[in-house]
Amino acid sequence: MTAPLDSVRVLELTDESADYCGRLLAGLGADVVKVEPPDGAPSRHIGPFLDDEPGPDRSLCFWADNVGKRSMVVHDDAEVVALCGAADLLVHTLRPAQAEARGLGFAALHELAPSLVVCAVTPFGSDGPWADYLADDLVLMALGGSMAACGYGPGADGVYDTPPLASHGDQAWRTASTYAAIAVLGALAWRSQSGAGQLIDVSAHECSASMTEWHLMTYLCSGGVHRRGPHPTLTASDGRQVAALNPDFLGPHVFAGMLEMLEREGVAGPLSDPAFADPVHRAANYREVWRALKRLAEKHDGETLYELGQGAGLPWGVIRSPEEVLEDRHLRARDHFVELEHPELGRSVVYSGAPFLAHASPWVMDRRPPLLGEHTAEVRAQWSQR
Amino acid sequence: MALEGLRILDFTRLGFGAQATLICGCLGAEVIRVESTRFPDAIRVMPPFVPEPGERGEAFGAATLANATGAPSPNRGGIFYKYNTGGKKSITVDARHPKGLAVLKDLVAHSDVVTESFAAGTLDRWGLSYEVMRQIRPDIIYVSMCGFGHEGPDTNHVTMGPTAQALTGLTFMVGLPDRPPAGWSFSYLDHVGGYLGAIAVLAGAIHRGRTGEGQHIDVSQLEPATALSGALLLDAVLNNRPSRRPGFPTGNRREHPPAGPSGAYRALGDDKWVVVSCRTQDQWEALVEAMGRPRWAADPRFATVAGRVQHADNLDAHLQAWTSERDRYDVMDMLQRAGVPAGAVQDAADRLERDPQLAARGHYTMLGNTEVEPLPLEGVPFRMSATPPHTGGVLHRGPPCLGEDNEAVLGEVLGMSADDIAALDADGALS
Repeated sequence: MTAPLDSVRVLELTDESADYCGRLLAGLGADVVKVEPPDGAPSRHIGPFLDDEPGPDRSLCFWADNVGKRSMVVHDDAEVVALCGAADLLVHTLRPAQAEARGLGFAALHELAPSLVVCAVTPFGSDGPWADYLADDLVLMALGGSMAACGYGPGADGVYDTPPLASHGDQAWRTASTYAAIAVLGALAWRSQSGAGQLIDVSAHECSASMTEWHLMTYLCSGGVHRRGPHPTLTASDGRQVAALNPDFLGPHVFAGMLEMLEREGVAGPLSDPAFADPVHRAANYREVWRALKRLAEKHDGETLYELGQGAGLPWGVIRSPEEVLEDRHLRARDHFVELEHPELGRSVVYSGAPFLAHASPWVMDRRPPLLGEHTAEVRAQWSQR
Repeated sequence: MALEGLRILDFTRLGFGAQATLICGCLGAEVIRVESTRFPDAIRVMPPFVPEPGERGEAFGAATLANATGAPSPNRGGIFYKYNTGGKKSITVDARHPKGLAVLKDLVAHSDVVTESFAAGTLDRWGLSYEVMRQIRPDIIYVSMCGFGHEGPDTNHVTMGPTAQALTGLTFMVGLPDRPPAGWSFSYLDHVGGYLGAIAVLAGAIHRGRTGEGQHIDVSQLEPATALSGALLLDAVLNNRPSRRPGFPTGNRREHPPAGPSGAYRALGDDKWVVVSCRTQDQWEALVEAMGRPRWAADPRFATVAGRVQHADNLDAHLQAWTSERDRYDVMDMLQRAGVPAGAVQDAADRLERDPQLAARGHYTMLGNTEVEPLPLEGVPFRMSATPPHTGGVLHRGPPCLGEDNEAVLGEVLGMSADDIAALDADGALS
């Protein structure tokens, strides 16, 4: 078995905004070499750090998005350009003027290596009135529309007294990185037919702006906009929250399964009245449905409540913190989480693994994040010949 | 276009799966959506509806499948238009009709990829399992997309985006300290799952190009999510700092890298906000300068980023007093010109009506169809110099009306005559 991108050489010159792109490509089997300055790529200096001790080889921010890559320290841009001649793909986070100044403008690279695919991931893309504006993930989550739709609802007086909220985890950067990987795969597929490289121009702002589901359509259809407010949740006996979407959303048949479970649990109360079989009556008396669900929630811890709901065909999910996901039996059965040895630490570390199961071309997850410059000599020797 | 010549037989529904094939279509793949007239994609018949010219439609709030019976037509469902650009074609085939199933099998023989997003086991029940498909076409690439995937103990679990978001830590990561999580009010994972579905199609196609081998790729909505928490998982496991701890999540504040001020601040108007985020000392000094060097900013507690983080509540109150008297776009432009990262909190209306960058980048493409006037629709948010993607796919067309390509697809792909097609239709196989 070979991986889809086996022996595809990727040169990566990214900051924390697009490290995740290379991680995805490494999972598909590419040989991703991170080109770093002597003091390391920017993400090596972002915490948290192992045991809270800073150091380029101790950044967990770096580890999370650089697993599967090799690292090479390069002192001057001429060598980066030379490496481009031996690569299939360059992923960078340089704005056009920065790329030009470093000899990495597309025109020059294309002349040097006509089959090289170059992918530039920048906050706003290569042109437009905001092209030179600065952004971090928070700024992009604001401009893209996620924040406007995330946060707590208004108080009793109808006034929103808390701000719009952005998720942790740099979701705008991750979306841009993922789209960059998609574009790269498209370019590589086309190159396998045509032999030609090209320039991919990814605007993280545009990526962030296209991930708010049907909000644009709501505006186009009705003139209304989505405001923020959480989905309904039940609080279980252990204080955990369970996302408990309105079951009628999936159609009226769902109520029958829910009622059976609530009766079995002895909390159905008035819902056993046949009048509740009518969705119109149910919608008008939804408070009674919710009260029964709250009675159920008081009896069980969050994980049990989740299983009870799912057993009754309800689209419920217990709200877990990221580390609590490790215990999910389904993901464990799919061997999702992967332990990688960090020999210099004498221990292994658990990482999230394959985003899908591809049996003929399994996700590659066998290399811990690289130490700074760990593969400099190795890559220089290997990439000097094709 | 990058994927020109790749034919995808597409059984996806709703958001998650359809996001994947819209990407493929925008990259040039030929996407043939298969639905039936009795069971059209639910988002064709759910509000909000694209209004007739001059009318205003109903907002999403009341949407359920139960009340969808009042849909004006299967071609005006607004959500359908979000997820079915890419020049997708639409055919109607009844898989439960023997002749309908035969048509689908013929189409499998002429396709490179089959995509679907039903509950696990649905295609098997139709008689169109992966085993059957690979007998018809040994190198078929079959990409299934469903909440829990097709393998594992919980494949029968029912999920929608918010369910998967709860289970994978995403909901947890949005909230203010010491309150229940606020989570995402929309299905972010329908997008992320769809992106990984598109990657699965692309990886499958590249793998087949190299080896000649097809495969079943099993995409769930859970697995694409676990990497989205970044370093939080590692911090919990290695540093014994679980995310479920007092004070976390921290709203819009980020501990790594330290930044201050950093957050969303009230601007002039009803519930209008602007984000300001200073990571460097230079950015802070530029902010102070842009504000006209107010006296509070000279407070020695704010002299360093560590001090600004430590006294963030106080700092934020001062900054918000300044922003709240100003328009959010004015603040953004003024600060950006000074070298300070800042951005208006925009909703969908702002993105369409006010955002000059999206307009300049050609983010929206006007596309309609025989029933709907052209609308500004979205495709893929990147450019490619040699193989430009198009929101309307190879043929530059809008999202398809239900069954509008029956004759064209069955004629051009399967070589059927108009009489053959009419006979199939009369038999009920194309309903």
